[in-house]
Amino acid sequence: MTEFDVMPGNKAVAYGVKLSRVEVVPIYPITPQTTIVEYIGEFIANGELEAEYIQAEGEHSAMGMAIGASLAGARAFTASSSQGVAYMHECIAQAPGYRTPIVMAVANRTLGWYWALGPDYSDIMPELNLGWIVLMAESNQECLDTVIQLYRVAEDPRVLLPAMMSLDGFYLSYSYEKVLIPDQEVVDEFLPPYVAKYPVDPTISDKWPAPGLPPALHTTYRRLFEEVLGDAKRVIKEVDEEFREIFGRGYGGLLEEYKCEGAEAVLVTMGSMTTAARRAVDRLRREGKRIGLVKLRALRPFPKEEFRRIAEEVNVIGVVDRMVLHGTGGGGVFADLKSALYSLEERPKLLNFVAGMGGDDISVEDFMAMGRKVHRVLETGRVEREVEFVEHPLPPSRGPVPMEKMPIYPSSGGCAGCGASIALRNILDVLGLNTVVINPPSCATVNYSAQVSVPWVLANYAAGPAYETGVFRAYRIKGKTGRIAVIGFSGDGGTVDIGLQALSGAAERGESMIWICYDNEAYMNTGVQRSGSTPLFSRTTSTPVGKLWRGKGQRRKNMVLIMAAHRIPYIATASIAYLPDLRRKVKRAAEITAAGRGLAYIHIQQPCPTGWYFPVDKTVEVARLAVETGAWPLLEIEEGRLRINFKPRKLKPIGEYLRLQGRFRHLTEEEIAEIQRVVEEDWRSWLELEKMGKLPWY
Amino acid sequence: MVLAKGEVSEVKGLMLRGGRSVGGRYVADWRTFRPVVDASKCRKCWLCVMYCPEGAIGRGEEGAVIDLRFCKGCGICANECPAGAIEMVREE
Ligand SMILES: Cc1ncc(C[n+]2csc(CCOP(=O)(O)OP(=O)(O)O)c2C)c(N)n1
Ligand code: SF4
Ligand code: SF4
Repeated sequence: MTEFDVMPGNKAVAYGVKLSRVEVVPIYPITPQTTIVEYIGEFIANGELEAEYIQAEGEHSAMGMAIGASLAGARAFTASSSQGVAYMHECIAQAPGYRTPIVMAVANRTLGWYWALGPDYSDIMPELNLGWIVLMAESNQECLDTVIQLYRVAEDPRVLLPAMMSLDGFYLSYSYEKVLIPDQEVVDEFLPPYVAKYPVDPTISDKWPAPGLPPALHTTYRRLFEEVLGDAKRVIKEVDEEFREIFGRGYGGLLEEYKCEGAEAVLVTMGSMTTAARRAVDRLRREGKRIGLVKLRALRPFPKEEFRRIAEEVNVIGVVDRMVLHGTGGGGVFADLKSALYSLEERPKLLNFVAGMGGDDISVEDFMAMGRKVHRVLETGRVEREVEFVEHPLPPSRGPVPMEKMPIYPSSGGCAGCGASIALRNILDVLGLNTVVINPPSCATVNYSAQVSVPWVLANYAAGPAYETGVFRAYRIKGKTGRIAVIGFSGDGGTVDIGLQALSGAAERGESMIWICYDNEAYMNTGVQRSGSTPLFSRTTSTPVGKLWRGKGQRRKNMVLIMAAHRIPYIATASIAYLPDLRRKVKRAAEITAAGRGLAYIHIQQPCPTGWYFPVDKTVEVARLAVETGAWPLLEIEEGRLRINFKPRKLKPIGEYLRLQGRFRHLTEEEIAEIQRVVEEDWRSWLELEKMGKLPWY
Repeated sequence: MVLAKGEVSEVKGLMLRGGRSVGGRYVADWRTFRPVVDASKCRKCWLCVMYCPEGAIGRGEEGAVIDLRFCKGCGICANECPAGAIEMVREE
């Protein structure tokens, strides 16, 4: 019997993945895709899906892992949004050539140009013309079903291409709808296991997909790809038809026509906006307007023939685009449609509405207005404005409280009791107004970047230290070294995971600037996923505690030693409970970098009540216990000389620290003892290093 | 990312941050508990000033002064005050 549940789009995607018996899931969190990662993680943690689950250190790696897994013959899935898709781009471009039938969900979100969380198709736009199949979902049910359909399509030997499913962020990803969950046995029959024909597996095949082609074959192979994508159209339609027969619902293959009988004009929509557009068309029909709706499901391969058939029956087509091709004056689907219809003898009139960018809501009334405009062209036979941007006024909100200038103004949008705020306020208080902050995406971006009066540069996630290097070098060439404090302010994700390559480069080159990691020991801004700095056994949303999992299974990276391996002049750890020590270290880092001596690195532990699950008034108390138990030793290394700044006669038992926090509530006595052992081992190692005087590699 | 509003600039299509577009953030409506300082107990160690995540506490003549427009009521000040001079009371 088919079950159903009320669930958000992201969970529907996760069910699609589970029912498709995906074998490898490399993934990296980003809003609004993140909960896909979390739901899949839960399925695996509870033994409901047997798969390799890998939280990568960035999306470039996540797509790299998906390609590797697919090449080796496994069914692979990944998902991302916006910046994450962009960061994958290089690997995305290679997947079609390797003929890896990966399925990827993109929970749409506008691509950083100006940052926002809401959806538009600027994130998938750069990926459209690389040879991927790209389908758009309108409902949560369609999300689940499309994942399953796409594996059938992608793995079909006539196709063998990667496929993307786009679901609108928020409108689908986080919105709850009733979703039918098909039976596993029926899905198994519809979707047999993937058997790669030429896997990179020497026990199976002595041939594998080639990485390159001689130039003389490039044009030929491009043509062949166009033919394959043409065949893919047929396969998409067949698979959708078969799906309808088995499961009782289908989505029109490449596009769906709604109330098009007798229509002389149509609106073309895609994704979740279609639902509001349907209501508008219903009303316009009732008003006697001869208007219908075409929901575009396949952005790639583009259903050229289907649109030509529709164009023969209608006189006006209005395309609603959530994607702008800058420099062309209009939207992307509009451009595709226009070129598809150009060679027709008799062409309908075309209108383009650019709407809903960055998640701006497109209401039923907006669609009514668009429908009326389309209808007016039908009546007058004249197009007055080909492209129109559907704009809305900014809703009123409370402005900032004006105050005398200070580096950082009071309060913020951050959580009550946030330790990052304590760190940042003290850092800027020490450094003063001549400071510039470079910050990769994090809680600090969302909550504190709007509170500072000093320049604050939002860097792309993997490139924080690179943006900072650029700023530092510009100051240096202008003779300003030492006059402005240049600091990176980054979460642990932006430092120990995705930002590590750029940080290592800056350290090794001796960029004379400060990098501060405020470490809340997980990816907080995206909802508490594990990072390379998450401690052993900690529960996060991507290392859940379930039948099979006990939280994070690995120990954290030792960033102090990683930085020491670069022989930088200054490295320190600090705590928000020990502010005089923290402030002294920030001052020392400023002196060293002002003197042009190289990179200074400060790593501050910052308890986070929201992600560690403790009461908001305990932030400083938890931080102090971390130091007193040895979980977070305070130390500094100046020119290779290591000094432990806080040395209690006896470390407090680690349980005193762990028991205050919900993220460790599941621990058994044995697990606590294991953490105690690890902490003591580390502590002894630090003591020994301190005794050495100077670290050997300096 | 919901960032604060910026300032429109003279360069067409360029949004600015800084200047008058930034300032204190009014959060008084977030609170369920309110810190109340007993000035007679305050030793003026100013630990609460350093620890307050919101920068909402000032150094007054008589002791710590809390600007309640900016206080979220987290209670860190009360928890950390060595003199027990701050008490959290439920908002009406
Ligand atoms: C390339 C890229 N991938 C993913 C994201 C989404 N993202 C924004 S903030 C964040 C997590 C931040 O974690 P961390 O660096 O530890 O800082 P925190 O929020 O914990 O303070 C992620 C994954 C992004 N902005 N860019
Ligand atoms: S989630 Fe944690 S780090 Fe982020 S603002 Fe809230 S308390 Fe601060
Ligand atoms: S309750 Fe929290 S926000 Fe309010 S003054 Fe005390 S420390 Fe600051």
